[in-house]
Amino acid sequence: MTPTATAVATAEAVREGRTTARVVVEAALKRIDRHNKALGAFTDVLADRALKQADTVDASVKAGTAGPLAGVPFAAKNLFDIAGIVTRAGSKLNRGNAPAAADATLVTRLEAAGAVLVGACNMDEYAYGFVGENAHDGPSCNPHDITRMTGGSSAGPAAAVAAGLVPLSLGSDTNGSIRVPASFCGLFGLKPTYGRLSRAGAYPFVASLDHVGPLARSVRDLALAYDVMQVFDEADPAQTKRPNEPVMSRLKHSIPGIRIAMADGYFAGEGLARDAVVHVAKALDGSRTVSIPDAHAARAAAFLITMAEGAALHLDRLRSAAEGFDPDVRDRLLAGTMLPGAWITRAQKLRRYFRETVLKLFETLDAILVPSTPMTAPLLGQKTGMFGGVEMPLRPHIGIYTQPFSFIGLPVVSVPVWLSDQPLPIGVQIIAPPWREDIALRIAQQLEAQGVVSAPVAKAFIEG
Amino acid sequence: MAYKPFDVDAVIDAMAPLVQLEITEEQRPGVRQNLKTAAKMAALVEQVKLPDDTEPAPVYRP
Repeated sequence: MTPTATAVATAEAVREGRTTARVVVEAALKRIDRHNKALGAFTDVLADRALKQADTVDASVKAGTAGPLAGVPFAAKNLFDIAGIVTRAGSKLNRGNAPAAADATLVTRLEAAGAVLVGACNMDEYAYGFVGENAHDGPSCNPHDITRMTGGSSAGPAAAVAAGLVPLSLGSDTNGSIRVPASFCGLFGLKPTYGRLSRAGAYPFVASLDHVGPLARSVRDLALAYDVMQVFDEADPAQTKRPNEPVMSRLKHSIPGIRIAMADGYFAGEGLARDAVVHVAKALDGSRTVSIPDAHAARAAAFLITMAEGAALHLDRLRSAAEGFDPDVRDRLLAGTMLPGAWITRAQKLRRYFRETVLKLFETLDAILVPSTPMTAPLLGQKTGMFGGVEMPLRPHIGIYTQPFSFIGLPVVSVPVWLSDQPLPIGVQIIAPPWREDIALRIAQQLEAQGVVSAPVAKAFIEG
Repeated sequence: MAYKPFDVDAVIDAMAPLVQLEITEEQRPGVRQNLKTAAKMAALVEQVKLPDDTEPAPVYRP
């Protein structure tokens, strides 16, 4: 049993008595202690809590009641409530808040399945960013090249998994904050259908668009975590009342005659982003292309809703404590307080319109492939990039391919592609119809089994 | 509607009192830039002609 094993392999070893949760968790804590300074992945390490939970799990193994994630260490973005510590949500201002009284629903669900929370992870302030460079806690660094960004806003959760500190982490995704770091850090990331997983106890950003989900280094880990986190939770008003739809047992069932297309036009991508989609499409015999109309407008509408709802959330703090914000985040929020209501309502109307447009495409398709990001991980501190041969600001471009799909709440798995001779990974989004996480995960599983996509622990972090 | 340049400072000066905010000189360049970007985004949204009976989707059920 190595510290860098998958969640499924770790849980099997713990349940079968080949190792114990305590041994696994102690090894994880040791690795975090050794590597966190270089990575900026964790802001809170919860050794006492983790060891206590590990002992509880070991007792459950002896009693024959161990859960499917027995002894699996995991991390949570620091916007998830963790009983007894302050939910900082990447901010300085929230540090004056009272400690959380209880764990967030997803943390509770994972621990009920035997997983062990080892810490809270770094993120962009208030989840309003794609770069993972926190103004207060410092940047998270990409384990595949620590001079580069992890992407954000689920930055620390991605760094922790890519460096093999934990096999599993929890992130949130409003405009791409799971899928962007999954792309830059070479991980599998799942943004489920809007309303599928409970956001209760996760610090909000944009209620209309907020999603929560897992990051992992294998599709089975992603699927298993997704399965155990499904529960109806009245504490999240956006949650579905659909029954649970577990995926793990169906993961290996291929989809006969699967209909897949690459999105063209707005989503065609250039360079490595395009090559990665073609690489995945080839393996799936998907040479078909599809046009998604109004994608520009969809992305723009998500941008406006984000500004306005984010501004409404933070309005009091902008009035009383503006100096406590990251200046970049602050100025976006300040501008967001000044947007005409007609723009926002129009954007919400476009959301329904665009949903109908895309659902129509799924009448003849099972899944759509698009790049997760337009580029591989940029350098830390990088401000501009080349897009279509023109130098443009980097930050707003990172999410152009992810925003249109979180906008309409579709389930997406980002899969990591390593093109030959390339030192850095890049993600491809597998987009499925609402509530069909199983389609996206089954395709991802097929690609992983064929070796077309993979999420190895970063080389510099494999030993010890 | 295509994007039409507008007097961003006039908007900031008019809106800030309405939302009871004071925009400092340090904040103004960033606010200015973000408002311009927002207006460009709004122009993109408005390029899609929506039927009058399109419902908004504030609590969204896919």
